[in-house]
Amino acid sequence: MSWTKLALKAHIPGAILLIIFAAIALPAQIDPDPNSPVPILLSSEKDPVRVLALPLTAAMPDGDVEPQNAFLLGDTIRAYVSGIELIPGEGAGAFRIYATDGKKHMYRFPVVAVSEVKAKSPTYELRFTIRDEIGFWEQPSEDGDLLIMVTWRGLASNQLLLGVGKTGGLKIRRDSNESSKFGGGAQPEDYVGYRWSGDRVRFLEQATFGPNDALDQRIRRIGIRAWLAEQFQAPYPSASNPYPDIPLMPANINSGCPQNRGTPESNLCIRTHYSLYPLQIWFFKEAFYGDTQLRHRVAWALSQLWVTSFPTIQQSSHMIAYHKILSQNAFGNYRTLMKDMTLNPAMGDYLDMARSTKNSPNENYAREVLQLFTIGLFMLNPDGTYQLDINNEPIPTYDQDTVNNFTKVFTGWTFCNTGCPNSTLGAVNYKDPLVLNQNNHDVNSKSLLSYPNAVNPTIPSGQNGNAELDLALDNIFHHPNVGPFVSKFLIQHLVTSDPTPAYVGRVAAVFNDNGQGIRGDLKSVVRAILLDPEARGDIKTDPNYGKLREPVQMTTNFYRQFNVTSADGTQQSDGYVSPLPTLMSQTPFSAPTVFNYYPPNYVVPGTTLLAPEFGLMNTGSSIARVNIATFMSFSSVTVDNRNPPNAPMGTSIDISALTQVAQNDPTANQLLNELNYKMMHGTMSQQMRDSILTAVLSVPQTSPDVRVRTALFLIASSSQYQIQR
Amino acid sequence: MKESRREFIKKAGCAMGMVTLASQVEHFGRMTALAQKVDGGKRRRARLGSNYKALVCVFLAGGNDGNNTIVPIHNDASVSNYSVYSAARAPFGLAIAQNQLLPVSVPSIGNLSYGLNPAFGPQANGNNGIHELWAQGKLAFATNVGTLVSPMTKAQYQNNSVAKPYQLFSHLDQVVQYQAGRSDTFSFTGWGGRVSDNMSETSNPNGLVPMITSIDGSQLFTAGQTTQPLAIADSNTPLNQVLNPIGFGDDPVSQARLQSFNELRAVDRDNGYVDAASAITDSAMAANAALATFQDVTAPFPNTSVGRQLKQVARLIKKQADLNIDRQIFYVERGGFDTHNNQLGAQTNNLGEVSQAVRAFYDEMVLQGMASDVTVFMMTDFGRTMNPAGTGGAVGSDHGWGNHMFVLGDSVNGGNFYGVNTSNGTPFPNLLIDGPDDATNNTANARGRWIPTTSVEQYAATLARWYGLAEEDMTAVFPNIGSFPSSDLGFML
Repeated sequence: MSWTKLALKAHIPGAILLIIFAAIALPAQIDPDPNSPVPILLSSEKDPVRVLALPLTAAMPDGDVEPQNAFLLGDTIRAYVSGIELIPGEGAGAFRIYATDGKKHMYRFPVVAVSEVKAKSPTYELRFTIRDEIGFWEQPSEDGDLLIMVTWRGLASNQLLLGVGKTGGLKIRRDSNESSKFGGGAQPEDYVGYRWSGDRVRFLEQATFGPNDALDQRIRRIGIRAWLAEQFQAPYPSASNPYPDIPLMPANINSGCPQNRGTPESNLCIRTHYSLYPLQIWFFKEAFYGDTQLRHRVAWALSQLWVTSFPTIQQSSHMIAYHKILSQNAFGNYRTLMKDMTLNPAMGDYLDMARSTKNSPNENYAREVLQLFTIGLFMLNPDGTYQLDINNEPIPTYDQDTVNNFTKVFTGWTFCNTGCPNSTLGAVNYKDPLVLNQNNHDVNSKSLLSYPNAVNPTIPSGQNGNAELDLALDNIFHHPNVGPFVSKFLIQHLVTSDPTPAYVGRVAAVFNDNGQGIRGDLKSVVRAILLDPEARGDIKTDPNYGKLREPVQMTTNFYRQFNVTSADGTQQSDGYVSPLPTLMSQTPFSAPTVFNYYPPNYVVPGTTLLAPEFGLMNTGSSIARVNIATFMSFSSVTVDNRNPPNAPMGTSIDISALTQVAQNDPTANQLLNELNYKMMHGTMSQQMRDSILTAVLSVPQTSPDVRVRTALFLIASSSQYQIQR
Repeated sequence: MKESRREFIKKAGCAMGMVTLASQVEHFGRMTALAQKVDGGKRRRARLGSNYKALVCVFLAGGNDGNNTIVPIHNDASVSNYSVYSAARAPFGLAIAQNQLLPVSVPSIGNLSYGLNPAFGPQANGNNGIHELWAQGKLAFATNVGTLVSPMTKAQYQNNSVAKPYQLFSHLDQVVQYQAGRSDTFSFTGWGGRVSDNMSETSNPNGLVPMITSIDGSQLFTAGQTTQPLAIADSNTPLNQVLNPIGFGDDPVSQARLQSFNELRAVDRDNGYVDAASAITDSAMAANAALATFQDVTAPFPNTSVGRQLKQVARLIKKQADLNIDRQIFYVERGGFDTHNNQLGAQTNNLGEVSQAVRAFYDEMVLQGMASDVTVFMMTDFGRTMNPAGTGGAVGSDHGWGNHMFVLGDSVNGGNFYGVNTSNGTPFPNLLIDGPDDATNNTANARGRWIPTTSVEQYAATLARWYGLAEEDMTAVFPNIGSFPSSDLGFML
């Protein structure tokens, strides 16, 4: 039975409902199998452990060729892969060639061209240069074999030997050629929407604050595309969890709150107005229970791009007004976000634009809006890689003079303390956009960013500051860097730390033009990120694919998966869990600087891995993560006895269903099966499973809940889980 | 029989190291600290006698305003005097009054009088601060230090005939260059990490913790090619708790869980990220075993972030003999120096905390008998513009370049300024906006950003040499040091 018939039967009532359903469900039909049908295979020689490689000049391999065994550094050579199928435009940037030497140093060789050499059983020729492009280690020495591997869309090929200088010297472990440990088994016939179960969980890790059974079932029924369409239109925040409505208060706490400190009235007043508490508990409640997960998630990602931070920004109402800008624009146009955020008072305070005047200009916002929020420091290719000059050096996007000119553009803006809807006597207005005082605006001419076909590269003198702001933001917005810059940032936050240039390029192309001639459409960008073949699939085998779960995600993913509830299990959590990510070095909405909690170019010490979130992973925080895993598995956030309590209801997990599973199956195999699916989308290795099973079985069968909690802890604290891939 | 915790971890650690070494293809790119120990233990030179030395980096994050850290008090017109300073800053409300500055006499500038920020003086309910250590010869400043590719004049700055450090005035990039100890190209490693790469095997062959420790999270400064730095919390957490996983009792169920927890880190390391995370946790568990006991410090430390960080450093130094280490490098950080606004109050407060904490640390080193073996040095993002940003109560300053760094300890040749001379023939810059030391292309944009005369790597190399880095290894650690005339500024005895 086809899925459409099933759907029609189930949804006869109400013509309108039917139309809506058809409109959103239709795309589910076209969700392709996200998995590679066969493993990627790097062709070998007659010697099956050695890669078939040819110099550029040699004839095509045809039958029994005698390939060259060893090459020199700097040689560009050809190798052959099968088991892949390219989509239009997918070329060299979709592939990476990794090489490892006997010292276990990893190198990456640039792929310079890809072409199809055999159409029938598709085989592609990869041309690549034997030269490390990462630069962490010195170039490999020409003294023997390297072990090389091709990756594509998060999948890894077999690994074969390549002689450099000469052959020999490296022992190879026989590697299985399987590229997927998952799937292969028959899927039940009744999957109508999105049948790839591992990928459903993976998708939910990327698009929400954590998978749970309800969402998994929903995606299974309606498919990813339909769910995305729903999410793009869903109201936000949830009706039951509106943004806290908190008034603007005097800057001085002593004027705003009762001065008899320590009394319940004073505590409540300070917590409500002068702390992050209201925003944080609202944020976590929405993450735990909100239906509009994707907007919440994208807004959270954007808060790590356009950073402002408590306690520099001192009032909850200020930070909430800032968050509204993020969430309102999460599926809107990036140009609108740029202007709304430029005029957001919290940003104006945080980066000093609100106090920059023609006579005493402040460069802070001008510099960071370029460097951090829009174009970055170096000229980018459309796929996010650096453009290089003739000396192989990256090319700066602007210089100090440019910053000085933009500084002049941004002069004259200030808080709207009178005459705006939220202007409040005795308080600074952080709710309405900044307003211009033309008298403080520098009206000299300005030279802005110059780039090919630049929009508004110069501004003549004598302009009104309002008009000039739009001209200048257009100048930035149309810079060719913005698409790849923003696209790569969002990919890193949602999917994987080190996306291929091909992936960045596909998404950036959508940023540049959403198909209807519109630049900067974030809705289309988010859709492109989440539907990309590099994001999708039941399993990713590329050893450099994935990302560390940031502390906030680690917290919400765990709680959501296990039916987060109040401490006594009778009602919803109050959302007071921010101490958990704080202990792991990430206090929501309190990044240490405008550079966020971690730099976007962080490389794990001692490795070549690009991994922003690892900026928060060190010996101390790694143990904090273990301790938080222990806490969430075995304990709960209890109702505290402060007056008023920070946790009026508390937070805990509800594992009754899993406890039943553990009770019914003394072998604990079913428990492990369930957790393998829920937490690791089916990728748990046999060794991992065996080890956890041993620990679980050490718990008496009479304590099935301890068995469950033991397993939860061991998975949640494992690196295998903490790396989302 | 139940093994002691330390034995267990040691064995687990060794087992993991073997696994790591044995798997030819599963492990990319990194030798873990544990693997190094297994690998290198037999081939090391004999351990030197007990000659402990430590470097403690205090990073003033955000870019400390050097122009209000050291101010000329003198009225000598031949070099920039107080009037030059006051003319630039007083109209905006950013000048410190001449009579509030804490005077120091500078032999290298004809014993002229300069003044330190008042925050370096005594504080009520605190200690005497670091100013008085100048007269005792324990405190020196390296002046007009900054990121450079090679020495550069103003003319060369303007005509681009000499390469500039990449992305001048940008926080992230300038922090990276200070911490990396090079500005000619991007670096994956910090100079502390490279010193550690270079010296760990010879100096700490049987060290129970890595050579390098951050009390402020992950920092490029601490990252080497092979060094896996330790990062722990400040003294609010006792040393024996900083890396201790909670919730494991002695009961068999707990122990089974602990065993599985340890086993899981040894498997599935074919993914680079999983491998990296497990390696960090391995390192933490090994260090945890080594930190099971400790003695607290004697001197009173201020209960500020930087005070607690330095207190934790002092605890580790007190334990150095137990940890089998002869050389240690530490990183602590005090943020809040990006004073685009409200600078006067904020910088005074921040520098006051730093001065109080560093002085407490120095006093503790004296009590431990380590004051000659431990050198505290400062780094920061960059200097700030002489020309203020904003005005009145909200006045601040913008991102600059050349800046002044304090160095402190009994091995410091204190009581002087050090560094390569500026245009005025002294190590202290000419403070004239649009003057000969101001990095600007035209008068209209001149803000008073001093072109450094002394490079970060000259400053760092001077410290590393004292620490014991061999001459022949200097260029391996500081690849661009050859671009500068000297690798020893002379401030270390």
